[in-house]
Amino acid sequence: MSARTAEPMPAGAQSGMTARPPEAKPALQPMIVAKGLRKSFGARQVLHDVDLTVLPSEVVCIIGPSGSGKSTVLRCLAFLERYDDGTVHIEGDLLGYHEVGSRRMPASDRRVDQVRASLGMVFQHFHLWPHMTALANVTTALRVVKRMPRTEAEAQGRAMLAKVGLADRADAYPAALSGGQKQRVAIARALAMQPKAMLFDEPTSALDPELVGEVLAVMKHLAAEGMTMVVVTHEMGFAAHVADRVVFMDAGRIIEQGPPSELFSNPKSERLQQFLATWRERSL
Amino acid sequence: MDVALLVQYGPAILSGLLMTVQVCVLAGILAVSLALPVSLAVSSPLWLLRVAARTYIEIMRGTPVLIVLFLLYYGGPSIGVRLDALPAGVLGLGCYGAAFFAEIFRAGFQSIPKGQIEAARMVGMTNLQIMRQIKVPQMLALILPPGTNQFIILVKESALLSIITVAELTKTATQMANETFAVVEPYLVIALLYWLFIEIIAQTAAKIEERIRWQG
Ligand SMILES: Nc1ncnc2c1ncn2[C@@H]1O[C@H](COP(=O)(O)OP(=O)(O)OP(=O)(O)O)[C@@H](O)[C@H]1O
Ligand SMILES: [Mg+2]
Repeated sequence: MSARTAEPMPAGAQSGMTARPPEAKPALQPMIVAKGLRKSFGARQVLHDVDLTVLPSEVVCIIGPSGSGKSTVLRCLAFLERYDDGTVHIEGDLLGYHEVGSRRMPASDRRVDQVRASLGMVFQHFHLWPHMTALANVTTALRVVKRMPRTEAEAQGRAMLAKVGLADRADAYPAALSGGQKQRVAIARALAMQPKAMLFDEPTSALDPELVGEVLAVMKHLAAEGMTMVVVTHEMGFAAHVADRVVFMDAGRIIEQGPPSELFSNPKSERLQQFLATWRERSL
Repeated sequence: MDVALLVQYGPAILSGLLMTVQVCVLAGILAVSLALPVSLAVSSPLWLLRVAARTYIEIMRGTPVLIVLFLLYYGGPSIGVRLDALPAGVLGLGCYGAAFFAEIFRAGFQSIPKGQIEAARMVGMTNLQIMRQIKVPQMLALILPPGTNQFIILVKESALLSIITVAELTKTATQMANETFAVVEPYLVIALLYWLFIEIIAQTAAKIEERIRWQG
């Protein structure tokens, strides 16, 4: 199966002598297409046939109860977790595997890195490298992966830190930064590689309430700039205001998805109704 | 305390001290450079490497260092390995220490959170780059205190080289005691010198630790 078929073909495109050459990309190729994702940990299946398509510049928020598989989906999209079945295509390229005839083989680390290069990821617990300054956290990959000269990398690194409002903290070590500042450095670190899409796994869940706003502000700004984003979050306000689409997961399946206005005001499934009711009760 | 005796044997004691320092530095370098691959092999995905490294560590851990030295120096010739006392001593001490350093390194590698490695993956670093940029620098800081301890143990173990005739500090003192029948002076002096050497090591490590600014 060709990667391109992930994009629905216009009717008749395949008939006649003037079939589209295989390398021509459709006008709006999806950024990320996951189809039929399955994942088990041991005997426990935690993802059941998850389908998710993310278009360029779209902001998709994934919500759902704890343990529903939100992080696992995100980690499969980044191939930090090896999915057992189904496919993930990043801009049309299969991630993590390559197909030999009808069989599929694990792709080489190099190939995985290549396909994954268009993705940036931000983690709940930041995962900054504690032995490097904020600036070095942002510039190390520029230097060693992109082989950029130090001065150029540092100029770009400082620009990225400025973008997240931390120009003055470039020389601080992570231990000296607040949680909100750490997360903003982590965002700058991912942005420095110029990804086409950013994945966020509960980026504000580990923060003190008063620090949540500064991180969400950076994310809103990114969304406004047209960054493609997939955000696992418990911040319903953010989902309501920033997301183009909200995806509700429960027990390893996508139960319902749609524009936030629709999903929040008119939830169809009982489970989402329950989930929202619980959330409203708690946030009173 | 017979001061004249110490003056008379001063040069011998000094050369013994230099020999001890030399043995410890060489054995230390050997131990550390052997320990790194062994520690990596212990958590290798390859079954054979894992078993080999584990076996090596278990054997060394379960054997007194003196026996390792005897086997190398006196037992070596029977399998065609004829080593002088000094190389045999350095090799024995180094290989022995390597097993213990390897365990320290392994613990160091394991204490680096998986999330940091995933973050490095996500910005495109290869395994080698992750090793070089993320793991090793942090590991060095983490293993400095236990590594210093292990090196101090190695310094003390180096006294056993006197038994296979290496002319280090302890050997010098024993010789002095045999020739002069003085017991207190030679052993007191070398005890002081060992203490001095170890104190220098400990202070240096403390200085380095102070300079690692990132630890919160
Ligand atoms: N590495 C793992 N090994 C075994 N089980 C795992 C692993 N990671 C996740 N799971 C299990 O998979 C299920 C889904 O976990 P996941 O972390 O994706 O949920 P989540 O929706 O992100 O939850 P939360 O809101 O608590 O972060 C859970 O039951 C979890 O216990
Ligand atoms: Mg999660």
